[in-house]
Amino acid sequence: MEKIESSITSAGGFTGRRMAKDRLFKYVMIFGGLSVIIAISTIFFYLAGVVSPLFMPSHMDELKPLAVPSLANQSTVHLAMEEQVEIGVRIADQGDVTFFSLLDGKPSLQEQVPLPESVRATSFAAGDLRKRAMAFGLADGRLLLLKDDYKVTFTQDPKDPTKDIRSIAPGLVYPLGTDALVVDDAGQPLKRLAIQHDEEGTTAVAQTGDDRLLLAYFTSESDFAGESVTTERAAVHELPRLKGEIDQILLEVKQRDLYVVHGGRFVSHFDVQNKDEPSLKQTVAVVPEGERVTAAALLSGGFSLVLGTDKGHLVQWFQVRDANNKNTLTRIREFKPMDGPIALVAPEHARKGFVAADDKGGVNLYYATSERLLVERATGAAPARLAAFAPRANAVLLETTQGEIRSAHIENEYPEISFGSLWGKVWYESYEQPDYIWQSAAANSDFEPKFSVAPLTFGTLKAAFYAMMVAVPLAVLGAIFAAYFMSPKMRSVVKPSIEIMEALPTVILGFLAGLWLAPFVDNNLAGTLLAIFLLPFSFVITAWVWHRLPGQLIKNLGPGWEAALLVPVIILVIWGAVSLGHPVEAAFFNGDMPRWVSNELGWSYEQRNSLVVGIAMGFAAIPIIFSIAEDAIFSVPRHLTSGSLALGATTWQTLFNVVLLTASPGIFSAIMVGFGRAIGETMIVLMATGNTAVMDMSIFTGFRTLSANIGVEMPEAAVGSTHYLLLFFSALVLFIFTFFINTLAELVRQRLREKYSSL
Amino acid sequence: MTEASPKIHAIKLGDLGRTQTEDTDEVAIRVENLDLYYGDAKALKSVSMNLPKNRVTAFIGPSGCGKSTLLRCFNRMNDLVDICRVDGKILMEGKNIYDRDVNVALLRRRVGMVFQKPNPFPKSIFENVAYGLRIMGVNSRDTLDDAVEKALRGAALWNEVKDRLDQNGLSLSGGQQQRLVIARAIALEPDVLLLDEPASALDPISTAKIEELVNEMKDRYTIIIVTHNMQQAARVSDYTAFMYMGELVEIGRTNDVFLKPTVKQTEDYITGRFG
Repeated sequence: MEKIESSITSAGGFTGRRMAKDRLFKYVMIFGGLSVIIAISTIFFYLAGVVSPLFMPSHMDELKPLAVPSLANQSTVHLAMEEQVEIGVRIADQGDVTFFSLLDGKPSLQEQVPLPESVRATSFAAGDLRKRAMAFGLADGRLLLLKDDYKVTFTQDPKDPTKDIRSIAPGLVYPLGTDALVVDDAGQPLKRLAIQHDEEGTTAVAQTGDDRLLLAYFTSESDFAGESVTTERAAVHELPRLKGEIDQILLEVKQRDLYVVHGGRFVSHFDVQNKDEPSLKQTVAVVPEGERVTAAALLSGGFSLVLGTDKGHLVQWFQVRDANNKNTLTRIREFKPMDGPIALVAPEHARKGFVAADDKGGVNLYYATSERLLVERATGAAPARLAAFAPRANAVLLETTQGEIRSAHIENEYPEISFGSLWGKVWYESYEQPDYIWQSAAANSDFEPKFSVAPLTFGTLKAAFYAMMVAVPLAVLGAIFAAYFMSPKMRSVVKPSIEIMEALPTVILGFLAGLWLAPFVDNNLAGTLLAIFLLPFSFVITAWVWHRLPGQLIKNLGPGWEAALLVPVIILVIWGAVSLGHPVEAAFFNGDMPRWVSNELGWSYEQRNSLVVGIAMGFAAIPIIFSIAEDAIFSVPRHLTSGSLALGATTWQTLFNVVLLTASPGIFSAIMVGFGRAIGETMIVLMATGNTAVMDMSIFTGFRTLSANIGVEMPEAAVGSTHYLLLFFSALVLFIFTFFINTLAELVRQRLREKYSSL
Repeated sequence: MTEASPKIHAIKLGDLGRTQTEDTDEVAIRVENLDLYYGDAKALKSVSMNLPKNRVTAFIGPSGCGKSTLLRCFNRMNDLVDICRVDGKILMEGKNIYDRDVNVALLRRRVGMVFQKPNPFPKSIFENVAYGLRIMGVNSRDTLDDAVEKALRGAALWNEVKDRLDQNGLSLSGGQQQRLVIARAIALEPDVLLLDEPASALDPISTAKIEELVNEMKDRYTIIIVTHNMQQAARVSDYTAFMYMGELVEIGRTNDVFLKPTVKQTEDYITGRFG
């Protein structure tokens, strides 16, 4: 016979193994628990880490002087940089062009624009920064168009054959040839000039020496070989005279709108789309009396006008369409003012940022959409008089009033993000009013990305709300019936069946919802609403009829099987409601309820709407809510119900006063788990809604949820872009959402449990 | 019920029974030929007995003899068991409680019950005691305050809990919980109090308190107590009924049943030869 150990100190042998096992499982448990916590926090910190650059402040280095040789008796009219930020260019008023290294300012090429002999240049204009077209206006009423051009070549590194050496050769090109084009037939000097040039044609607006304002349009054709270009002037018009001195002429890149700043405080807007019939649309006083516009620029895309005043104010204006479809120049937003009069405003090439400088040496970077002042700097010397962004907005080049050229590197990847632009209403270009908009991509590059997370968050909550409207009553009431009234035999069938529903892949639910339910509801809108409305009543009526039936029939069915009776009732009511739907629509809704909703009620209606999602996602949330709530109710101890019944309480009194009270922590968790599930659900909302990021509670419109948005847009977001990071931000918001809901739910549940836990 | 309650008189209880002696006690409940089936199994076989008013009657017998089942017949708790069927009569004040026109909820208000395991609701002490009154539609704060105090005093719990009536009933000790449950039952001022092994889950001191309480309460209520504990039956009860295999073996004054049982089985059970 085997001997049982008798020592109480020994830990070897069998007892040792028992203890080791005990410890092993203890550590496995601890490891498991910690792993979960670590995994969750890793996800959180990963998301937060990826997203964090969005909220990092922008950075701009000190403005370092470049030793570019100064000009003798010419002054600079234009500065620019090429894309790689290796070479800068300075253009002087009489055509002296200096390309220089942005590292040390050493000139790499000097050229002279071939201005006609013995004709002075009297003005200079730069067109759209991305198109790089510029023009000199001449003293004899002509203009000469040119572009700075950079040829990038790669040659193999002789030392390391796997590497290429990039070399950039700057130069000037003359897209319309080197012959000057006549703008003013009277031969007056062009005092002030604005220009835009593209393949279609070239528009020039010039103020002549005798203060006429001329609009000229040139078209060009290249010959078959594509070598020589013939340009002819297609139109020239004199524009109406404007009040006061002309301060600045701004021509928009698409050559459709012309803004003239004049008289110190007025902006006149001309429609010049039709070059034969330019028309003055309006003249607006943009600053109050006593203040003067000292600088103006069109932001990239040509929609927005940024005006700087002598009081240091910086204001953005653009055209807003009003109810009568008329465009009016509207003051949109004001930026943080600068200390002195604004000396210059220079826009970024591709985004809505700009740099502004005052005459006290301040240099500020702003971003229009997010209304942010990104960086405040000082030139460290004389105030700036000219500035330019690098094409990728990663550097700025400026010239001080003393002719010194300075440059600074900028790190400013995500200027469009601010708390306000993510969560608040933003007035985007060409919108009628400030709004919450998510629109991450569009067809053209002038587009201003609209990154408001508010509609997505709203959509997520809306989806969850409608899903819970469907799921909570059905699941909780079903759970109460199943746990408290249903016969054990029926329960043993019903409960597992509902729990199996949980295993249904949501992509199938989404598929059915989008491709079957949505068209069905669309075709039978009145019927569907009727069915939703009639079902509860039919239950009550069935119950009433049931109690009027002879007792014997009730006995034969057996208590707890009443629910089975409802199955034919439900089928009958749905069938009846749907077949009644079309006559009802014909009688009350002009035969087409969806159209009636949108025409008569003025509500927008989408086929894939919240009703469809509510039903489909409610269906997905029912099993988990039902299952947890049913367990909670079923596990209310029998002795509590007996205690209540023994005191003379009815079944219903016992249900409400004891059972539901005791089960409340469980029912609450069930609802919260279902809510969490609905918040995070992706496939159903992706497939069963139109995924439009609208912000209204209407049951007839769709929405776009955070999760669906990630699903839709992640594949097309450029890695590292604002858009990409914002999708991660959506994920973080979703994570925090569910984290808070679950934490809150758990806290409430613990409170309830403390209060109502039984024995 | 206008019918005068008959005096207990001698009833012959079949071959196994003994004759109940003529007595002056009033009859509160009369059981006549009660059969009870769980499905096809007969759990109570033709039980007939008289239960005296304002006295303590103890049901004793081995496990499964049907004493708890019989107890649950008095407030129709057996109705909750789907497969349970009852034949025969239980008359309270001359009315058969199994008649169709009897409202079970009102019957249970008249016949209070205390279970083996203390089962206070997860509510405050006050709400536990007021529960029965609230479900009867009593909501006036004054009435409830008075009734709760009276019931707690009646259950000898008032002094222990009067300062913490808003605490959860579950925060009390087991013995206190059981007295709370008794208070909950007597707050409704029932006629009959059914105690289903009320002290079996309690320690000896709490048990003593419960027994003391039963003794105090018998002036006001007809008490029926089911117990496994022979000494307890001897200590608290005026009458004792011994049941065996679903049948009432004998019923009589506790002294008589314990000291000179008329049936051999009773004697064997009491003296501990089986059970």
